[in-house]
Amino acid sequence: MIGSANRRWRAAVLLTATGLLLAACGGDDGSNGGNGGSGGDGPFTIGLSNGFVGSEWRTQMVDGVTEAFEEYQDEGVLDQLVVESADTDVNGQIQQIRNLINRDVDAIIVNPNSETALDAVFQEATDRGIVVVAVDQAVTSPGVTNVVIDQAEWARISAEWLADQVGSDGRIVVVNGISGHPANEMRWGAAEEVFEQAGVEVLTVADGGWDQATGQQVMSNLLATYPDLDGVWTQDGMAEGIFRAVQAADKLDEIVISGEARVGYMRLWNDARDNGFSSIGVVNPPGGAVSAVHMVVNLLQGNEFAADRVDGNTVHVPIPFTVDTNNFDEYWPDVENETDAYVLDGSLTKDEAAEYFD
Amino acid sequence: MNPAPPGTREPAPATLAHWWGRLRDIQVSGTATVAMLVVVIAVNVALQPNFFDQYALTSNFATFVPLVAIAVGQTIVVLSGGIDLSLGAQVTLASVVTVQLTDGELGNLPLALTAGLGVGVACGLFNGLVVVVARLQPIVATFATSFVFSGLALVVLPRPGGTMPSEFTSGYRDSVLGVPVALLAILAIAAGWLLLRRHRVTRHIYAVGGNAEAAFASLVPVARTRITAYVIAGMFASVSAFAILANTGAGDPFIGNELTLTSVAAVVIGGTALRGGRGGAIGSILGAIILALVSNIVFFADVPSTYRQLANGLVVILALALAGIPALQKRRSA
Repeated sequence: MIGSANRRWRAAVLLTATGLLLAACGGDDGSNGGNGGSGGDGPFTIGLSNGFVGSEWRTQMVDGVTEAFEEYQDEGVLDQLVVESADTDVNGQIQQIRNLINRDVDAIIVNPNSETALDAVFQEATDRGIVVVAVDQAVTSPGVTNVVIDQAEWARISAEWLADQVGSDGRIVVVNGISGHPANEMRWGAAEEVFEQAGVEVLTVADGGWDQATGQQVMSNLLATYPDLDGVWTQDGMAEGIFRAVQAADKLDEIVISGEARVGYMRLWNDARDNGFSSIGVVNPPGGAVSAVHMVVNLLQGNEFAADRVDGNTVHVPIPFTVDTNNFDEYWPDVENETDAYVLDGSLTKDEAAEYFD
Repeated sequence: MNPAPPGTREPAPATLAHWWGRLRDIQVSGTATVAMLVVVIAVNVALQPNFFDQYALTSNFATFVPLVAIAVGQTIVVLSGGIDLSLGAQVTLASVVTVQLTDGELGNLPLALTAGLGVGVACGLFNGLVVVVARLQPIVATFATSFVFSGLALVVLPRPGGTMPSEFTSGYRDSVLGVPVALLAILAIAAGWLLLRRHRVTRHIYAVGGNAEAAFASLVPVARTRITAYVIAGMFASVSAFAILANTGAGDPFIGNELTLTSVAAVVIGGTALRGGRGGAIGSILGAIILALVSNIVFFADVPSTYRQLANGLVVILALALAGIPALQKRRSA
């Protein structure tokens, strides 16, 4: 019984495969599609590939790119934005990027799910003359330009502030993101150096997974283990949880927290300010992707990066600003009505982006 | 999946009508799969004018191969009456071992690929022993071993890295006489299945999956057959890993894990019954291609990106339901 069903299968499949093959050979001499390549007159089509949608940060990123695109659309510089944004793994993102290539986009802005594993598909894109720019997470592919903030610099700002607050011989704990994640390693590498030079004693380093709930749990455990702490250094996405853990232990006046520039944390910070609570929030801007749109347009118009702006295949965009006790009131009124997950943001203007080019 | 209540599966009444019923059952579901494939190709062509361009074809087939390979592996386990929820993790582990041993050198490739294949065999053997010797439910046992395999993958390659030689990645994107290498890979996988299909061990797998007691009574080595099914599946997981490495050109310790459930969906769409013993891997190959094309369609149909996952899920459910209709008809007529 199975044998005869199998023959049916084979016939059907053979037919389908033959059809596909014939079509494939017929299509060979067909149009070569792509109007890719830089230095054209436009209007250009750009694609956005985003492989994770579970956070406000990514939503802000996609919205920012859409807004920037609309401005260029009005000017007639860009005519289409193709957004590929879904929770997926590296394989799914490879498919996203191939779809964008098949859409004949002129440029791709990508927030990559992997530092290395998209290299080969990026090569497919650049081979076809498509400009590829990575945001948020840098990639190793030499044909791709990374437009990212300097994660080391980002970490150094809050680490220096914390070291200053607790003084040399201060005793702190660290709640990092995910060990082994490239951004985490770059950040912690820089912060560790700051603490070493300042003579701050790091009692232990734990992972909070860039998640408020996990961060809170980890901090509660750390508070129980180390009753005598001067401070805690953490990264974005966890400071709110850490604040709540310290608050629950009634130690807000003893333990200095390096915070984050998100509305949820700033709300807690604002309430505690009257009691002399002080903190810091370095912006990690979703708007980096907006800066990338400006740069992509420059690249498509045939401009080249100024040599002193590029380090390998990476262009660092500035960290927009840092919220601290002194300037808190400058920023807070503008954002206090946003949701707790909202990230304070900033991006290069068109003119500022143009300065990155010759 | 509910196991069939005791009365549903007749203890082999070899009447002509019964066999005809079963035969038709399989044919209908095979036709449904092929029909679905034709529809998704037609829709895709309509939405994507350059579907038959060399690049579009090559890249599409390149995207299919990992899923095709893992779906064939899953089919073999399902046919034997089991299920393997660790296949994706096996893909991950085989890929990181291969990329680490290759270390970017073409000369290391033969050894690294052999080792990668060995990883699949070892994982399959481990699964088979846990299921057969420890007598754990396959769905629970392989779910548990998936954490062992993905944990090992993190030990082998703690963070993304490693490179494959450029000959390997560019060869995969090449074509021979206008036929994409990735398509040849799919045909080779299909040929591998057809060869396997003739082998005694596959007949045993069908027998054990169809009715283990009857198979045992017919002197089929049930335990050994089950273990073999997991081992063969592991080898196909390794092939999937190689295709992924050709796609990515680099290693990533999380790369294969999400393939597992898609492989089960491909098996079902391809007309293999999850209770085992009926179906075949050619259907699963088509099922895998259908699933990949569906996500292309959702993209080229300009579904807003917020609704894309929803649309994708609905289409897959629709396909699963269509594939299940023949089975329903059969139950009603029985």
